Amino acid sequence: MMGPDVTWYLAISGILFAIGALGVMLRRSPLIILLSLEIMLNAANLAFIAFARSHGELDGQVFALAVMAVAAAEVVVGLGLIVALNRRDLELDVDKMSTLRG
Amino acid sequence: MIDAPSVDWFALSPELAMLAAAGVALLGAVIVPRDWIRAFAATACALGFAGGLVAAAILFWKSGTPSLEVSDAISRDRLAALAQMIVAGSGLLAVGISYSSRRRVEHVGEYYALLATCGGGMAFLVSAGNLMTLFLGLEWFSICLYVLCAMDLDSVPSLEAGLKYLIVGSFGSGVLLFGSALVYGATGELGFAAIADATRSAGLDDDPLLLVGLAMLIAGLGFKASAAPFHQWTPDVYEGAPTPVTAFMSAATKAVALVLTLRVLTVAFPELDELWTVALAVLACASLAIGNLAALVQRRVKRLLAYSSISHAGFMLIAIAAANELGGKALLYYLIPYCAASLGAFAVVAARERELNAPVTLDNLAGLGWERPLLGVAMWSFMLSFAGFPLTGGFVGKFYVFAAAYERGWSWLVIFGVAATFVSLYYYLAVIRAMYMRPASELTLAPAGASPPREILLSASVFVAMVVNVGAFFAVQPLIDLAKDAAQSLPL
Repeated sequence: MMGPDVTWYLAISGILFAIGALGVMLRRSPLIILLSLEIMLNAANLAFIAFARSHGELDGQVFALAVMAVAAAEVVVGLGLIVALNRRDLELDVDKMSTLRG
Repeated sequence: MIDAPSVDWFALSPELAMLAAAGVALLGAVIVPRDWIRAFAATACALGFAGGLVAAAILFWKSGTPSLEVSDAISRDRLAALAQMIVAGSGLLAVGISYSSRRRVEHVGEYYALLATCGGGMAFLVSAGNLMTLFLGLEWFSICLYVLCAMDLDSVPSLEAGLKYLIVGSFGSGVLLFGSALVYGATGELGFAAIADATRSAGLDDDPLLLVGLAMLIAGLGFKASAAPFHQWTPDVYEGAPTPVTAFMSAATKAVALVLTLRVLTVAFPELDELWTVALAVLACASLAIGNLAALVQRRVKRLLAYSSISHAGFMLIAIAAANELGGKALLYYLIPYCAASLGAFAVVAARERELNAPVTLDNLAGLGWERPLLGVAMWSFMLSFAGFPLTGGFVGKFYVFAAAYERGWSWLVIFGVAATFVSLYYYLAVIRAMYMRPASELTLAPAGASPPREILLSASVFVAMVVNVGAFFAVQPLIDLAKDAAQSLPL
């Protein structure tokens, strides 16, 4: 196979996943959090595609395509919720969403 | 030309029935006269769930030998069929609970369509045969639930619950997906059975990729089953979501997440059972401890029930951790009274909420038992079932769970579970005390006004839930036989 070894792809996808996970945990804006969730899903996609190439099979790539569709659906719902929150003039900050606490 | 796999439509019939119902409900929202939308959509949704229930029952009957369909992506077996029956039954009760909620008529068609779609996703998930159908099924029903939680656009708690569930749920799915990628990388396979074969033949027992992947899979499923320490979203989401949605979520989501956990771990990772049984036992103990202790201090009934559902995830994880046939049987039996009691308890909360138009707390639950005898008696049975008293299915369920752990040789887990049960008595009995045994001076009276009309569908749902819950005690043998047939489709 041409190109770098699969380990490098795995390392990149691990780093991307960590960036995404940290983004979800540390950032406060729901928009950035959605973005970070996408990074997590795409990190997994990269790993799937890299492994599919190294195993010489296609199922990992098919999986990655399906994940992209799912990720798009998830973002639609997420953005819809953010718009709904914004219409009610709520501040877009997950730390301030504390109506539910007990 | 790529060869298309042959599709066993019969194996997919429960989810197809529910999807068809969703389509009809959505279409009806546009073409049916305004006054009829609610009745039309609810009927379509109920028929979809009923169709799913019948299809799953026939599937159970016809699928004596487990098989893999649709190029090995779907497992057709009795485990999936029984779980689909539980999902469809929960959906039917959820329609009854939802019917008289004060929902604006513009969104009522979408509500029932999403409920039916969500049920379809769950039915798909429990029959998953590889990691891809697992992920797709999980996201299919989760995305529907995110919207359902935020369905009350006028209420800030509901929106907040939706967004919180979306963020935490997607985080869990992301972890699960990355775990799937690592498992795929280690074994080169996506199918559950193929993963087990590859692990066995290549001797991957201590392959770091596989181990990390397995850990991430368990964590991702833990988020969905709301097992501690992945439970933080549960109380907030259960409290903020519309109560009928909470009822459906607490029953069906937990059921499918746990059934799937059982399936993945026993089919795909039998070689690593030394590891995952211990991991699940630790998760079970954490869930029991956190769920029960946090429930002790709750005043709001929905939060209390949310923590109670975390502790029940703990009990059911004990059954999976036992990893023997008795454990599989125990889990599948336990789910039946648990789902009934959970739906019923939230239905009673929903009824009270509609009377008072305020969140239900242990204080304003006072007197409910005398005002509404049916709801009161039903709530008795649900609380006693949660606490594992005899005469309710919860007792037999706990008995089998502990027997499975004992058979595994984990007496310490049994002792922990029994201790947790004793702690839980305090708050379950507190609910009953709040309903019946408050002195008149402690009562905070409900707002003035005539008592709202009796909701026949809601009362009927509560009654059915009570019958299932108590009936599970008296009809132990047939149900255990069902659970045994289902558990036999797994290599335990």
